[in-house]
Amino acid sequence: MQSILFWSATTLYALATVAYFAWASFGRERGAAAGGALLGLALLPHAGSLALRWAEVGHGPYNTRYEVVSADTFLLVAVFLVAAALARGLRGLGVLVAPAALLLMGWAVTNFGLKREVPIIFKSWWLVLHIGFAKLFFATILLAAFSAGAYLVKVRNPAALPRLPSAERLDLYGHQLTLVSFLFLGVMIVAGAIWAQQSWGRYWGWDPMETSALVTWIVFGIVLHFRVLHRWSGRRMAWLTFVALAFAVVTIFVVAIAVPTIHNSYMVGS
Amino acid sequence: MDRIVKLLRAPRLALAVIGFLAAWTATGAWAPWTQPGGPAALAWARAAGLAHPFTAWPFLAAVALLFASTLACTWGRRSRILAVRRGQLPPAALRLPPRAADVRAFLVEQGYRGEGELLTRFAPALWGGWLLHVGLLTLIAAVLVQQAFSDSGVFDLTEGETARLSAPGTVSGRERGPFAPAALPDVEVRLDHFDPYLHQPGYAPDRLSRLTVTVAGQAPRAEVIDRAAGIRAGDAEIFQAIPAGLELTLDIPGMGLRAVRLQGEGPRRAAASLSDPAGAPARFVVESERDLDSPQGTGRLRIALEAGGARLALEPGLAFPFGAAPARLVAVGRWGRFTWTRTPGLSGVFAGFALVLAGCALLAFPAGVARLGRPGEGAAAVVFTVRGAAAVAAEWERAGPPA
Repeated sequence: MQSILFWSATTLYALATVAYFAWASFGRERGAAAGGALLGLALLPHAGSLALRWAEVGHGPYNTRYEVVSADTFLLVAVFLVAAALARGLRGLGVLVAPAALLLMGWAVTNFGLKREVPIIFKSWWLVLHIGFAKLFFATILLAAFSAGAYLVKVRNPAALPRLPSAERLDLYGHQLTLVSFLFLGVMIVAGAIWAQQSWGRYWGWDPMETSALVTWIVFGIVLHFRVLHRWSGRRMAWLTFVALAFAVVTIFVVAIAVPTIHNSYMVGS
Repeated sequence: MDRIVKLLRAPRLALAVIGFLAAWTATGAWAPWTQPGGPAALAWARAAGLAHPFTAWPFLAAVALLFASTLACTWGRRSRILAVRRGQLPPAALRLPPRAADVRAFLVEQGYRGEGELLTRFAPALWGGWLLHVGLLTLIAAVLVQQAFSDSGVFDLTEGETARLSAPGTVSGRERGPFAPAALPDVEVRLDHFDPYLHQPGYAPDRLSRLTVTVAGQAPRAEVIDRAAGIRAGDAEIFQAIPAGLELTLDIPGMGLRAVRLQGEGPRRAAASLSDPAGAPARFVVESERDLDSPQGTGRLRIALEAGGARLALEPGLAFPFGAAPARLVAVGRWGRFTWTRTPGLSGVFAGFALVLAGCALLAFPAGVARLGRPGEGAAAVVFTVRGAAAVAAEWERAGPPA
């Protein structure tokens, strides 16, 4: 049943991708609306597959690559739909969100069969905050980068993607989403520090993942300073948003996979 | 003095310091010689302070400079925010030229609210940047104070063993801040039961200890700890650490009962060196049927004493020659490691964190103040917004033809 729900969600993400591409390529207005609806519909079986895995292994989606990436994808789509409901101009970003969700589900399924018990240190409520905000951080910085990408397209050709708002508005959305992800990353770091204090008696240990998260937070601070102090915006800020995304991806995925750290268990893949 | 403040407030300095800290932190954390079991630091790294990156002077100097820069940036910002809130907008504020459109309706559409000539949008969020900077100052100051008073160390215990932390030789690996008390915590800890591979439902097997903790002047109390959370003991906290191993309890004439803690020398072999009462070197070796850290248990153990080029098999309960008189192997058990910490000022650190996060949360709102244009000003409105001025200008341009 879990597998059926997972593949149902993946199929709906694929259909949403096709619908959005039809809208972007051929200007079919119904495509974007259908894409949004399919993304929303996909969340139902996706939530079901996550809930069944939770019930099976006895812990939330925060251990092994399948659980982590599948839950990240779920939150990416959910955050996008909420953001698009709050700011209608963001709806067109579905053309990037839907294929991203599809690719992430493809990555997640490579470890579908792997099930592991979580370490005893996961017996803490701070875990929920720490990991929950890590996932929100990933979703928001990815949306910020999508806004920056759409901005670059609109600047080059203002007539492109007519359902998207003006380039200036996309620039602003990208900045606001970066600010929100800066907040989420901050909450993730603080919750992790409190959790570490509770478990080990030290709130900071310069673990590679802790350090990478701190460096990413500092880099976000630099990016935001360029905006606020030097009034950088437009193309330069769009490229800086991609730099911020690169740091985020390194922190969340690359360090956990490639560097020996106390955080390795959450991306263990074999 | 003004020149120094101006220099400290310079955006370029702030960015340079932040950039340096990011690069130094990344290098320091990922350099091979800072990894557990990594190679020795290279000569240039030692000279630059990267052998101990987070206590080296370049790092501490950069943190101090960051504190000074943040303080200079924060200084005076409060009065500027209050002035903006009163409608005294800075020269850089956006001037919307007159157009054939209702500027008040346009501003309301943009989220601004107000009855008179002054309209605001998320006005409390104007304080976001200020609060973030105050939080950073609090955080840096609190971490420095906390580190100055922090105190920590480790101690090992075998099942049935009691240790007083303040007794000589009990605590090792002590890390004491310059202002931390010299006296060790006056706490007595007895390890009643230790299971290194307890399978708690839903979690992977891990250590769990049952302790009897006695704080000076208080009644003993029973505690259970695992690696998920520590326990408070007076002004200290005690945590379960990862290291654990096999232990031999020896009854040595003239020395009484001694716990010999063995260190792993391979997956199925552990050993410890100990001089006999006559001062001759000896080595106790244990080899196991299964891996020493196998949750299924070690299986049969082979215990041996290596001394004077000879190897002697030992059995629990039996005597063996050790120095001038025979000693006896009483039992084979497990030892576990514990850490203790004293961290006064931690609440200040978390208060700093909280202020930083509150500032970040406020920053996420696009705060702004708009004042309707006055006669002869040549502007329909003057708009100050912490971000999105370009979007406001572009959308006003599309609102109607020039008046």
